[in-house]
Amino acid sequence: MPLLEPSLVDGVIKRALRSGADFVELFVERKRNQSISVEESKVQRVSSGTDLGAGLRIIHQGTVSYVYTEDLSEGGLLKTADLAAQVGRHGGGRFAFGELTGAPRPPQPIEVPPHTVGPEAKIELLLEADQAAREVSGAIKQVAVGYGHSAQEVLVATSEGIHHSDSRTRVRLMIHAVAERNGEIQTAMEAPGMQRGFEFFDDTSAAEYARTAAERAVSLLDAAPSPAGQMAVIVGNEFGGVLFHEACGHGLEADFVGKGSTVFTGKIGQPVASPIVTAIDDGTLPSRWGTLAVDDEGVPTRRNVLIEDGVLLSYMYDRLRAGQQNHAVTGNGRRQSYQHLPIPRMTNTFIAAGAHSVEDIIAATPRGLYAKKLGAGQVDVTTGDFVFAVTEGYLVEGGKIGRSVRGATIVGNGPRALHKIDMIANDLKLAPGTCGKEGQGVPVSVGQPTIRISELTVGGTGVATAGTMRP
Amino acid sequence: MNPLAERVLERCQRLGSEDAEVYLSRGTEFTVRVYKGAIESLVSAESRGIGLRTFREHRVGFSYTSETDSDALDGLVDDALLNGRYNHADEANVLPVTQPADPLAGLASPALSRVEPQRKIDFALEMERRATSLDPRVRRVSDAVYSDGTGEVEIVNSRGLQASFARTVAYGVLETIAEQDSEMQSGFAFTHGRDMEELDLAGVVQEAVANAAGLLGARPVATATVPVVLHPHAAAMILGVLANSFSADAVIKRRSLLAGKLSEQVAAGIVTITDDARLPEGLASRPFDGEGVPSRSNELITDGVLKSYLHNTYTAARTNGQSTGSAVRSYKSVPEVGVSNLVLKPGELTREGLLARVDNGLHVSQLTGLNTVNPVSGEFSLGLTGHWIEHGQLTTPVKELTVAGNVIALLKKVVAVASDLRFIFAGGFCGSPTVLIEELPVGGL
Repeated sequence: MPLLEPSLVDGVIKRALRSGADFVELFVERKRNQSISVEESKVQRVSSGTDLGAGLRIIHQGTVSYVYTEDLSEGGLLKTADLAAQVGRHGGGRFAFGELTGAPRPPQPIEVPPHTVGPEAKIELLLEADQAAREVSGAIKQVAVGYGHSAQEVLVATSEGIHHSDSRTRVRLMIHAVAERNGEIQTAMEAPGMQRGFEFFDDTSAAEYARTAAERAVSLLDAAPSPAGQMAVIVGNEFGGVLFHEACGHGLEADFVGKGSTVFTGKIGQPVASPIVTAIDDGTLPSRWGTLAVDDEGVPTRRNVLIEDGVLLSYMYDRLRAGQQNHAVTGNGRRQSYQHLPIPRMTNTFIAAGAHSVEDIIAATPRGLYAKKLGAGQVDVTTGDFVFAVTEGYLVEGGKIGRSVRGATIVGNGPRALHKIDMIANDLKLAPGTCGKEGQGVPVSVGQPTIRISELTVGGTGVATAGTMRP
Repeated sequence: MNPLAERVLERCQRLGSEDAEVYLSRGTEFTVRVYKGAIESLVSAESRGIGLRTFREHRVGFSYTSETDSDALDGLVDDALLNGRYNHADEANVLPVTQPADPLAGLASPALSRVEPQRKIDFALEMERRATSLDPRVRRVSDAVYSDGTGEVEIVNSRGLQASFARTVAYGVLETIAEQDSEMQSGFAFTHGRDMEELDLAGVVQEAVANAAGLLGARPVATATVPVVLHPHAAAMILGVLANSFSADAVIKRRSLLAGKLSEQVAAGIVTITDDARLPEGLASRPFDGEGVPSRSNELITDGVLKSYLHNTYTAARTNGQSTGSAVRSYKSVPEVGVSNLVLKPGELTREGLLARVDNGLHVSQLTGLNTVNPVSGEFSLGLTGHWIEHGQLTTPVKELTVAGNVIALLKKVVAVASDLRFIFAGGFCGSPTVLIEELPVGGL
């Protein structure tokens, strides 16, 4: 069943065009969610919900207006079209919009739609995971595990006569383990997810992820406070890519670039990173968290090389910025829901694999921090200054991995750090995440192989004097 | 009774739900973003949604929908009842005892809906225009937004509760870029109120410009152990980090750094923290919480001693306590426990008077990495941006400093609080004055 009858779609677009708009786009979305959580080894919450709504964007002499509604009846939509036409009368500029080219690709294949699987099977795997985490150690005092899926169908129709659709089904597992000993508490989490159906769990062991989280929480109880100061930092693969995503990726989004509010403005063709760095945003990767057949403006996604051998090649565009900046569209126009305007966003963004092994990199590091897993972080897009928590870290001394440290953060500047990447390993992996910008969260992948940054500021509770530490 | 709620409750009862609760929300949004003297985008919309909780044999079911046709409403009930079947039975799963809430005047400005859109657009344009004409080093604005909204909540349950209220909010957000030689710094500021008339246009412009320009030339400094002064916004951000630890749910699940510390000294004697859902100037004020329980003011830390956690009906029943009226939710979620207006009580000292106590120290205007604070252990390692203080005056801008420690240890080191209370949205609506912390080791070069 289509989200909306094609004749109604056309009727709404025609109605909104009556105001003399240059462009009208209707975005319709239905999203069905389910989440199940187990805490204290009991099923605490089975929840489900449906979001259904439409957003109407009209561009009138360069000015963008947007109206959204949950009322998808003919009367409701036509009323919304009239409101959009009225709101859109403030225009006064030039209309420029990136041309939508290319055929849409098929949605990601889903073998077992997750809503066709009853809660029993999901609860069973959560309880298994809960037990697996608790069996790791008596120090594990609390475990929270959760399952979630969402099935989002979108339709994008424009006054150019384009009707494109996509269907995005995502399943995810969340595990949070708390270890406690002598009043000291440490936590760890794992949250694997893919754009797949319930078959995701055929080759993903919830119990295995639970053990991993629990083991890390326990090992952090024995970790020493991290030293502070300037040192070489080896950043682990997979979620370590959040560093590039936050500290550089956002600076390559065309809305920031268009306002000159990032350090990458005007740097196309120039070296912006060490020559060993190649970075890519690829919305086509099979089954990945940020993959789309078409973006939320109906543009087919593609593989965009952002930085090649250290040279800046491309920014990431939505249709509006592509038009304003006279560039081809890149398939990066995304929105959280029908309640939001599309803006340039990343999809699956990663640093390409290098030639070294992780062992090579560690052996070549006389002293530094191995930030094997990063946690949350924060970045100033204008300057690229960043702070990230290290959730699993080790000292590196004399080319060997030393003791585990906790409480470390890495502090620095993204563009400067890009130039200081001096070794890249061959272990590229991606991880799912939700990226927030202007109050809109969208699913993305971050990723990278293990990399070494020759010098960064490490913040920690210990003291930097060589070889000695105090608690 | 609301006909949608009536229809849903009737079906719940017919299908065997002992109790049920319908949470309806409706809202409007108007947002205009301007750039270089023209509208960049304008959003105007209405939205709505329904959340349903069912109770059967102490099992709670939940579902939500944004659809309101009869099939969707039937599906809402069926889904909630089905979901409830799988949840574990817990005697603490109950609806609150129905109590009437005292009305709270002034939460919504009726004038807001009568303001012409053009005046709102002009507000945003004027912010941008003035921001680029105040300081020769600030010639660009990266973001200038005016936004307002209305929100209406109605809760109807099978215990006879029928309660509703409406609230409005308006705000202006401004981000400027200061440039000098090849250096760029950004400066952010905002103004908020219940109506456009309450917004401080001159103030937000002055602050956004000063914040950007004031950081030009910022540089790292050498590691030192010095007194640290937190700007009210920086201190309020820390309150926002602490907020979840007051939740009894977090305490029960061992995710609170305040667990097991009731009646203990958890902060310096000068620290008093209140969560007041009826605060007149609080933008999170409401007559009742997400379950319809009347709102009140809850003193959490008094003179440094932890007095209370925050409860919803479930956590109260589980711990044989009383709900503190602290259920927070949207129609898409069940009631969680959360803060409303969380306030660090101001003192007598002026901000200048507080700064005058510092001969050589650090004034922190921005804390980065607050989302990296470990919410359970309270351990943090943050990035700091601000100014050096010499003889009570802010001097050189500094950046790329770090400070590491523990939230509780930090609270115990507060030696003075000023009188200049200011609010930000940081989870809840968090307010703090300028705060002086005794010597902290600050990491730099």
